[in-house]
Amino acid sequence: MKQTDSLGGLSWRDRAVLIALPVLAVFVTLAIGRMGLSPLEVLKTVGNRISGHAAADPRADAVVFSIRMPRILLALLVGAGLSVAGCAFQSLFSNPLATPDTLGVASGASFGAALALLLGFNLIGVQVLAFACGVAAVFLAWLSGSGRGGINTIILAGIMIGSLFSALVSLVKFTADTESQLPAITYWLMGSLNSAGYSSLALGAPPILAGILILYLLRWRMNLLPLPEDDARATGTNLRLLRALTVICATGITASCVSMCGQVGWVGLLVPHICRMKFGSNHMALVPASIFAGSAFMVIVDTVARSATSAEIPVSILTALVGAPFFIVLMRRTEGWQL
Amino acid sequence: MTLSVENGCFSYRRGRPILRNIHFSVGPGDIAAILGPNGAGKTTLLRCAMGFLPWSRGRSCLDGTDIRSIPHRRLWQNIAYVPQAKNTALPSYTVEQMILLGRSSRIALLAKPGGKDLEKAGEVMEKLGITRLKDKKCSELSGGELQMTLIARALVSQPKVLILDEPESNLDFKNQLLVLEAMSALAAEGMSCVFNTHYPAHALQRANKALLLGSRGGPVFGETHSIVTEKNIELAFGVRAVIGELETPERVLPDVVPLCLSGGEAPEPGGGTGREGPRLAAVTILAGEKSAAEEAGKILRGCRDFTVGRMDLPCPGRRVTAESVVLDAPENTIRELLYRLNRLPGISVKAVFQPNEKRTENSCKE
Repeated sequence: MKQTDSLGGLSWRDRAVLIALPVLAVFVTLAIGRMGLSPLEVLKTVGNRISGHAAADPRADAVVFSIRMPRILLALLVGAGLSVAGCAFQSLFSNPLATPDTLGVASGASFGAALALLLGFNLIGVQVLAFACGVAAVFLAWLSGSGRGGINTIILAGIMIGSLFSALVSLVKFTADTESQLPAITYWLMGSLNSAGYSSLALGAPPILAGILILYLLRWRMNLLPLPEDDARATGTNLRLLRALTVICATGITASCVSMCGQVGWVGLLVPHICRMKFGSNHMALVPASIFAGSAFMVIVDTVARSATSAEIPVSILTALVGAPFFIVLMRRTEGWQL
Repeated sequence: MTLSVENGCFSYRRGRPILRNIHFSVGPGDIAAILGPNGAGKTTLLRCAMGFLPWSRGRSCLDGTDIRSIPHRRLWQNIAYVPQAKNTALPSYTVEQMILLGRSSRIALLAKPGGKDLEKAGEVMEKLGITRLKDKKCSELSGGELQMTLIARALVSQPKVLILDEPESNLDFKNQLLVLEAMSALAAEGMSCVFNTHYPAHALQRANKALLLGSRGGPVFGETHSIVTEKNIELAFGVRAVIGELETPERVLPDVVPLCLSGGEAPEPGGGTGREGPRLAAVTILAGEKSAAEEAGKILRGCRDFTVGRMDLPCPGRRVTAESVVLDAPENTIRELLYRLNRLPGISVKAVFQPNEKRTENSCKE
């Protein structure tokens, strides 16, 4: 890998490729679906919208902008968000097994969503309660784990809080009505992007975008996270603030993702590791690479999920099916994993 | 800047006190060595002194200000810490990127290093002679290279106080020298240095102040030659050692050779070092550089009170100044003077002492 940047940032070629990937993926996937559109038609429809002309083909316009666009936007956001959150947690905990869910945010959000479905809230209500419970779970984990024990205590506390909320989810399922509520809860928990809509995006996108932006700006400073604690503190960085910021951003992102589309597993583990193998563990390269690679990956996987068969395949199943073999091949071809 | 610890005491929660009544201070140009057996709390002491662990009693001060009242960022612009080089699971940053992380205290939270920071990193690498390692990955460095990189990372923030945790442990001869020379050179430029060490000889050769932990009489701090004595080593380490002198054609170096584990009866703490009595000594100095000769002259003028006679012998053809001084002073004072002269660059110093019947060789009879 050639790195032109002495701080360890991406080379211009890598930057171009990484930006082109999601853009290309969006244009291709806008054309794919039950109603086949050629890329040219997609371009025309988008062009008409942008220039303010009346749609030449109202049906294509509706398919592109009302059905596919929000879902693709959601996939972009969720992919980028979960990848960068996973990358942040792996560095924060110096642990390759850390995922965005390590501090229990997904379990907490799942509980919030299940509870909201049980209480018969509407979709926006489900999203809000899921987000709140996800954040609350991490807050609890941080509160019970921080102290003299160091960072590993927080991981343990996170796992405990996670299992606590998993148990609560089971409890909600147990009390739910088996005819209507239980299937809804189960389906929600499997994770799907098909509930995407502009109103849910308007609510869920700001935390994700803000989190990604802050982590992106923090990317040089994040290089301190994998260092031993004394080393990092002796550089004059307020380590507690840095860790808290990282956790807050990653939690906000993940809680918001889970609240919109349920538990989408694997992305937060796979994409950062793939990026580490390709671009090294310097966050100057790793953070932007995770953001762009994650968004492209998610858009492609979700498109397969919604259009490969007539019934939709849960996206978690696909991320694992596609991602795990790809990961193993890459791991064997490169030097393997390094933090 | 002066880093000082006043009456430092430390114990873990519900534990026996580990450190008691620690007093020490290092000012500009000082090198202080912290000695003590394994488990005596050397690293704990450094961590407390820097504020990584809270003192249970007492405090650390920077120029008289309690470090707890100094903002974190400002504190770390003035002091820097060099951890022990351990190669375990280091991230694969390049040496230059690793060094730049040391600039954190001078870069805003959301910013990244700029041209000035890169320039500074280049200067520090040049100074420590590791420019060739610039693009090498930290995970691929040897122990010595890594230790120099960590020193560079500490120096790049332009600190006034440098704290090193066993900087020469686990290194070979040459790398030990490289690290110690770097430390001496920094002190000569006015840096205040504190280092932990397992080698009493390094303390004697490099440090002008020493703190000895683990002694039954409590921690002792003072001029190195009055702290690192055969008696104190036996008290702290339980080892009988001989402090001897290694003579090279240019100078005399103190050295410590451990002989055997001390027997049942350890010496009583307290008392003198046996070096308080006045002695006559003839000191010969050869200075190769003019600046060193002037510096030596300045030091000697400070000893006028106990100078019996002094002779300057310039040898202009050879660009060497020779000096001969006869002193009448307590042995401690003379050794202190020799130490200061020995630290000057490009100088050869030796002293010959009047015969002394009182001092007999310490031997192991058991």
